[in-house]
Amino acid sequence: MKRIGIISLFLILFLAFVTVWNVSYLEGREEAYIPVDNEQPMTLIPSEIGVFERSKFALDYANMPVDENHQRSLETYYDNRAFHGAPPSIPHPVASDRGMGEDICLKCHQNGGFVDKFDAYAPVTPHPEMVNCRQCHVAQVSESLFEETNFHKIKAPEVGINNALDGSPPIIPHQIQMHENCLACHAGPAAPKEIRVTHPERVNCRQCHVSNNKEVRDIGEFKRLSNYDD
Amino acid sequence: MYTSLTNRREFLKKMAIMSAMTAAATMFPGILFAEEQEKNLPKGGNLDWKKAPCRFCGVGCGVLVGIDNGKAVAVKGDPKSPVNKGLCCVKGYHSVMSIYGKDRLTKPLVKKNGKFVETSMKEALDLIASKMKETISDYGKDAVSIYGSGQWTIPDGYVASKLFKGCIGTNNVEANARLCMASAVTGFMTSFGIDEPMGCYEDIDHADVFVLWGNNMAEMHPVLFSRLLDQRLKRGVKIIDFATRTTRTSMAADKSIIFQPQTDLAVANAICYEIINNGWVNKAFVEKHCNFKKGLTNMGYGLEDKYNFNDKPEGITFEDFKTFLQDYTPEKVEKVSGVSAKDIKYMASYYGDPNKKVMSLWCMGMNQHTRGTWINNLVYNIHLLTGKISEPGNSPFSLTGQPSACGTVREVGTLTHKLPHGVVTNKEHREFAAKIWDVPAENIPAKPSYHTVEMFRALDRGDIRFMWIQVTNPMVTMPKLKRYRDACEKEGRFIVVSDIYPTPTTDIADVILPSAMWIEREGMYGNSERRTQYFEQMIQPSGEAMSDTWQIVEVAKRLGYEKQFYYNEATHIEEIYNEYRRHHEGNKHAMAPLEVLKAEPGAQWPYVNGKSTKWRFNAEYDPACSNGEQFHFYGNKDGKAVIWQRPYEPAPETPDDDYPFWLCTGRVVEHWHTGSMTRRIPVLHKAMPHAYVELNPEQAKEMQIRTGDQVKLTTRRGEIILPASVNERGVPERNQVFVPFFDENMLINDVTLDAFCPISKQPDYKKCAVKIEKV
Repeated sequence: MKRIGIISLFLILFLAFVTVWNVSYLEGREEAYIPVDNEQPMTLIPSEIGVFERSKFALDYANMPVDENHQRSLETYYDNRAFHGAPPSIPHPVASDRGMGEDICLKCHQNGGFVDKFDAYAPVTPHPEMVNCRQCHVAQVSESLFEETNFHKIKAPEVGINNALDGSPPIIPHQIQMHENCLACHAGPAAPKEIRVTHPERVNCRQCHVSNNKEVRDIGEFKRLSNYDD
Repeated sequence: MYTSLTNRREFLKKMAIMSAMTAAATMFPGILFAEEQEKNLPKGGNLDWKKAPCRFCGVGCGVLVGIDNGKAVAVKGDPKSPVNKGLCCVKGYHSVMSIYGKDRLTKPLVKKNGKFVETSMKEALDLIASKMKETISDYGKDAVSIYGSGQWTIPDGYVASKLFKGCIGTNNVEANARLCMASAVTGFMTSFGIDEPMGCYEDIDHADVFVLWGNNMAEMHPVLFSRLLDQRLKRGVKIIDFATRTTRTSMAADKSIIFQPQTDLAVANAICYEIINNGWVNKAFVEKHCNFKKGLTNMGYGLEDKYNFNDKPEGITFEDFKTFLQDYTPEKVEKVSGVSAKDIKYMASYYGDPNKKVMSLWCMGMNQHTRGTWINNLVYNIHLLTGKISEPGNSPFSLTGQPSACGTVREVGTLTHKLPHGVVTNKEHREFAAKIWDVPAENIPAKPSYHTVEMFRALDRGDIRFMWIQVTNPMVTMPKLKRYRDACEKEGRFIVVSDIYPTPTTDIADVILPSAMWIEREGMYGNSERRTQYFEQMIQPSGEAMSDTWQIVEVAKRLGYEKQFYYNEATHIEEIYNEYRRHHEGNKHAMAPLEVLKAEPGAQWPYVNGKSTKWRFNAEYDPACSNGEQFHFYGNKDGKAVIWQRPYEPAPETPDDDYPFWLCTGRVVEHWHTGSMTRRIPVLHKAMPHAYVELNPEQAKEMQIRTGDQVKLTTRRGEIILPASVNERGVPERNQVFVPFFDENMLINDVTLDAFCPISKQPDYKKCAVKIEKV
């Protein structure tokens, strides 16, 4: 009996040791682990800077006739970008490869206008204050690739499907960081014909058109904290 | 507006047509726009377009609702409406979607053992009536109350007032408009002796300069702001944004001037000083049409229960007024307000220039102010000293936030001291109302009872035992909310809530009545420019929902007032409106007949000899002027307007070492009021899913707070955690933060202060002290 008592005492002590050792070992491991905070908050509410930036030209845009032979389309607009939202590449030869862009680019791209040489209207930049143009916009001088790519180009927003109700103002289907200035892309002769606004003189665009953030996160519908059915 | 450049001759021809069209378009902004919108609608659809005023804000845009098979499916601006001329805002365009939220209340609910149980409409109405009877017999008639809103249609408010004031005999009738424009009312009453703006929206087409006093119009009154922008493109008018924070309006304005909270009082006085000092006073106008007065100062802030204040106006001379203004030189005011003397002089120079027509616009910034009545008076002072009032383009204009804040709360008079015509303290007014209501004049008590904040305090104390809340959400909007929520949940309180969706207010209800919303019923709203607009019933109410008017009528009948509530269910709106019109007979306030409202996009009172009155107090336009002069301020007995001596006084709670920031609350363009409707419109919810706290970007950097970080706001009332917003919608100044109040899941009003203007009793939601911490 005595022996069994001693053996079981040691057995209990041994088991206790194993348990305590295990727990403290695991705790030690946990401390060494710093969890990565995955919840990087995204900006959902677009900034107001630049909304009214080009509004002084609004009446000119409204009065401008449409030059049907030199219209851009959404297709060519997206073709010039690696993906929807990427900075467009420079589709024409540039005079000098040395400068950062600045006035040389802005001469045509600040306010746009017809360029005989390219038989096209120069698109207007939505951010003329950023003058190191070629930091983001590069020329495409070669047609060939170094190696083929498996990059998947996601579908860009489409026009004509963004109304909640028949005839209601379409929502803004894209993010607008760095292009808060709506009229730059949606008005004037260089605006792609599908997205050229019919009413550029209504300059408080976001009075009627709000962003829906679906590219960032699916917000879903409004949910109350309490519900009577529960 | 699309022309092709393919053929030169064709092109020139088109150019000519184009320029004519553009001229027309800018002359009538939006008219072509609405036609264009229609072009985009599916062809061959069988839409039936019916006119209504918009459900949301106080601008009162005319909308056309597309009805298809008994469902509202589309909205466009009404090109015939002189308010919006075919344009709406994002809320208006999607407004009909707010009818079809999945959790729409369709059946009456009664709380039993803490759970809501469905019941029939008849039983619910029986229960309400018997509870009211029981409360009156146990605690007296002043223990029952009704709390409505500026979203009440005219008939809703009218039957509420008739039942409570006329039949039951208690002045316990209030509306959330007390929280929204009471200071505008007392401003009008003290300066002019009669409520509501003298001018109208058409002033926008005539003014040269617009001064926005603490008014983020680009978001809050976007359709009117678009009219300002139209005028700027067409005529080069100037827009000055005078505010405490940088907003969308500041971005659009020609000049943004930032002032420290509460110091608008000092700046307005400094502008008066400049006007007098530079000899810009319109002497003939002031001598003929103005009196000078002063009132009591150091009034307090209404923070204690049963606080009472009565102003004692006293006549002063122009010289006295001049002496008083010596304390308000631009240089002295620069030190308190943070506005440079140069900017003060800049604003004053526009007001003072006899060749510039100036329109001042304001809304909550001036009204939700512990000296709200004063700042309203002060802006009128500026316009009166320069004689820039009551004529096209010269217009101090007080905007409203709710579709019928003017039409129902102010004109029907659903405030404790008011009657449809006049006030309860006046014996003749009581007798007049009692005659039309078919009740003994003694029924109407001569003493006002509780204004909104005090009404909820009385509920807390137990002086009020029964409250019926219709079309509003006080459990989101009351300042220092926790006290009043606890009050509602106390034992022995019976709360009835009529609404269309579950809200924090229906949460605390004992009975919930499902209401018919907007175009599910018939009614009228009155907007900020004295325009009354009618809408017919276009669709069937959801489930058993019943209009707020008919809910009250049903209860009134159960209380034994069949004689006064004789209305026929099929025609009651018309009967009620015709009865209501009798209160306003006469040149000063006559309301248009119903046929006119049905046929036209609204009519502006006084509606005399078949004509709306656009500019009151001006003999050229207003048939009520009778003194033989060009102007007649007939609201006051002597026919004169009052220029008030009102000093600058600090806010009740200012930032200190413990609570170093100012907290300002407000709205965003996407959501209207507490969001109970707009948040159920997916487009709007996705654009603005929750509340946030805006921080000054520089200070956010110092505190290492980025957009989206959780930030704790602590005031002396409590604390709340909100995500930070840096450099997004608005940019506050250093030591100031801003939080929108629409989000019922993040109730900012739990921490706001219930201080109010002693004259108007309207709380100040724009200023209290708060501590900010990153969590």
